[in-house]
Amino acid sequence: MHREESSLDLGTIKIHKNVIASIASLAATEIDGVKKIGKDFKMGLWELIGKKSYSSIKVLIDKNDEVRVELPLVVKYNYNVPEVANKVQENVRNALEKMTNLTVRNINVAVQGIEKDDTSGRHD
Amino acid sequence: MRFFTSLGIIFYATVLIIIGAGLIIYSLNMFQPQQIGDFLIYLQSGLNTRLIVGLSGLLLILISFSFAQLILGRFQSEKTIAFTTPSGEVTVALTAVEDLIRRITSLLPEIRELRPDVIAGKKGIMVALRVILKSEANIPELTARLQELTKSKIQSALGIEEQINIRIHIAKIVTSEEKDKKRKSQQLETSDQQASLPYSGYGRL
Repeated sequence: MHREESSLDLGTIKIHKNVIASIASLAATEIDGVKKIGKDFKMGLWELIGKKSYSSIKVLIDKNDEVRVELPLVVKYNYNVPEVANKVQENVRNALEKMTNLTVRNINVAVQGIEKDDTSGRHD
Repeated sequence: MRFFTSLGIIFYATVLIIIGAGLIIYSLNMFQPQQIGDFLIYLQSGLNTRLIVGLSGLLLILISFSFAQLILGRFQSEKTIAFTTPSGEVTVALTAVEDLIRRITSLLPEIRELRPDVIAGKKGIMVALRVILKSEANIPELTARLQELTKSKIQSALGIEEQINIRIHIAKIVTSEEKDKKRKSQQLETSDQQASLPYSGYGRL
């Protein structure tokens, strides 16, 4: 798996794609209106064999060291989807830039489903 | 991507033709079962042939997986509503829109069951609703309300101004009497079964 690498006088710092995915996941679920991170085909397969560490968030790093994140989401019912997606994009971008100093090019959000919020009352 | 798709189609077509031709040849008695047996024994005899057969099998599995993913991915990507924001692209799966519509059932007590089917096309969003109603519902008034509610929910949740066409098909009207009858008949059936079982009241010692 490709790692984001930066050189310093003392040595190199490598950030694994999984770290970027974890930051993106935490930043996305912080937003009010996000129920959970969605699943993909591979994640379903991994879960079948009992491995739950696989993330469905795809992190792509291009030649210019710019990061592209593909984020599947499940949004809570009664929330405005574009608004939630926009907030997620902003929060993920801020979190990644703050924690890793990376240049984030695109954060593509894919809303996979809408589920009712079990924990709190209805948002209007 | 087109190259891979056409490669996949050619590959699957070739495999199917080979299987079909093999079956035809076998049915015409051109091959004897002995010859097939000899060939299979030959494949298993040496380490090299076994290695080739095993690797071919592995390759076939990998190819089929990648093509399945490609095809599934393509279907998935087609069934979305997409819009771009300054930070990137947002795609909303049509199944998510269907989930959203399904939640409307809780707002209208006259609806027993609601099955939505959403299609996004060039002309806008087409929503087909298959509804099972309770008998006390006023159909014209309810369907108008359902159309209005569905439209407003989609517009408010997705923030889109495209044309939304909603078609409603009432598949069934269920009466409350029907429900009671069903319940009673089920209860009778269970009590009959209990009565007809000989020695059903006795436990094993």
